[in-house]
Amino acid sequence: MTITIALPSKGRLKDESIASLERAGLKVNAPTDARSYRATVEGRSDVEIAFMSASEIARELGAGTIDLGVTGEDLVQETIADWENRVAIGARLGFGRADVIVAVPEAWLDVDTMADLDDVAAEFRQRHGRRLRIATKYWRLTQRFFSSQHGIQVYRIVESLGATEGAPAAGSADVIVDITSTGSTLRANKLKILEDGVILRSEACLVQSLKPRNAEDEATITSVFAALNGR
Amino acid sequence: MIQRLPPFAADILALFDERGATRTEVAVLQPADPFLDMAGEDLRRRIFLTESETGQTLCLRPEFTIPVCLDHIASQAGTPRRYAYLGNVFRQRRDGEAEFLQAGIEDLGETDIAKADARSVADAHALISRTLPGVPLKITLGDQRVFEAVLAALGLPRGWQKRLARAFGSAPQLASALEDLANPSHSATTDQKAAELIAMGDHDGLVRYVTERMEEAGLSASAGRTPQEIAQRLTEKQQLRSVRLSKEALDALKTFLAIRAPLEQATDALEAFAKDTGVSLGSAMELFCARAAAIAAHELPQGLVVYDAAFGRPLDYYTGLVFEITSGDGRPLIGGGRYDRLLTMLGAKEPIPGVGFSVWLDRIANLRGDAA
Repeated sequence: MTITIALPSKGRLKDESIASLERAGLKVNAPTDARSYRATVEGRSDVEIAFMSASEIARELGAGTIDLGVTGEDLVQETIADWENRVAIGARLGFGRADVIVAVPEAWLDVDTMADLDDVAAEFRQRHGRRLRIATKYWRLTQRFFSSQHGIQVYRIVESLGATEGAPAAGSADVIVDITSTGSTLRANKLKILEDGVILRSEACLVQSLKPRNAEDEATITSVFAALNGR
Repeated sequence: MIQRLPPFAADILALFDERGATRTEVAVLQPADPFLDMAGEDLRRRIFLTESETGQTLCLRPEFTIPVCLDHIASQAGTPRRYAYLGNVFRQRRDGEAEFLQAGIEDLGETDIAKADARSVADAHALISRTLPGVPLKITLGDQRVFEAVLAALGLPRGWQKRLARAFGSAPQLASALEDLANPSHSATTDQKAAELIAMGDHDGLVRYVTERMEEAGLSASAGRTPQEIAQRLTEKQQLRSVRLSKEALDALKTFLAIRAPLEQATDALEAFAKDTGVSLGSAMELFCARAAAIAAHELPQGLVVYDAAFGRPLDYYTGLVFEITSGDGRPLIGGGRYDRLLTMLGAKEPIPGVGFSVWLDRIANLRGDAA
């Protein structure tokens, strides 16, 4: 039997993922055709490599069409409904670090915490005839953080698939939930992260799809995780 | 699954008729925005959304109150008017079918608040008694307005009153709000210049400063929060820092929230509380008494209705009465309440008071043991 490991298909994420697997004793043979999305592992006929985009990897893990995949924890929690029951994070890989955060305009001098934002959201409709708008591509993470964790119900999500940090100046949203690694884009757009506004500290993870598989494949997966976790 | 009306549906429709509530039909496919606007984004994962060809977001109706109110506004029907409904609603649930039946009565435009409140409770009780004869019931009644009156009477700053009023009905949220108020930990602002302007009492200067900051960031001063609004809240926040929730006020709040009494004795309990703490609950108390008397006139069994001072729903369109009817196992069979803010929020030109309730027919069917 074989297991399929999906890796990000380009850039630094791809290189670092391949390096991680190599540390675990799995040396990825570059495909003979550089445009191919399939690769093999040296000396291992029981492991196949597939290259996909990071968000596709999260989706396929949720659907159970691949066994393992390297993707961001933010994408795991956002893309996969009921993720805790469908996938398991086997190893944190220490690269691709970024935080999913709540940011407001710096000019909102009176807003530093989620409690402040709760006050603002509660009065927003009365003052402006509409609910407070949050631009984000992270629907699930935002709902969970605002509604379940902070009890803030009255806001609307505006879907934003790019340049989210520009939404407040463009007038399409008041507040954003976005991913940031250094915060420099936020500062350039005169936005500040709320003190308790870090929703998730994300990094690249090797994630396992929780689907029934045979003992042999299960053992392969266990050994990969053990090697990555230094055990 | 196609819903077949359960055998007791005929009893409910007959009851609507006897009680003078006219049955109304509501479209199954509804614009999704009003539901998300009123109940919040959290509802999104519990409703069935779809999109029209023109890009409008639609949903299968998750409840009846909002569509009934929208239809009422659109038809410009005169008030007062009582709408009854019985039909299927659609929600993603872990513990049951996603398509299930609800019935209820929405009473719009009745200006005698106590009378309309009492009638809603009595109608709800009659509906359950008829469909579940002999099943032991409990009616819990709460009052958002009385809670708000207590907050005002204790002399709490306006910002605190609003924060606590929002948390009404949710014990964890209320506890966390009280904790924050007893131990204010944050400075109003980390911005040096703003802090100086506040210290000097230069409000206009503060507004100008916020305006500059917004302009630098390319933020419109009118599309969202305004410089005036930010400056005002910042100043209020600074003032709140110097106040702490006094032990007396906190104790009084806790005493109030612990009040639980059969409705027949609730007026006395509230009056005793007001006397002990030396506060006056004013018109909220008058309405409470008038409502209690109006409910008594409906001759429900003694001790059936229990006033629970902490019972509420943290949704900003509920304004006064909230109630629920539970069976022995504690699961709500009926939820109801007064939503005087809802119709204007949905676009009515004039304020229209409203009160109503909804019944979970699937739960009734389960208790009856019908093959529903």
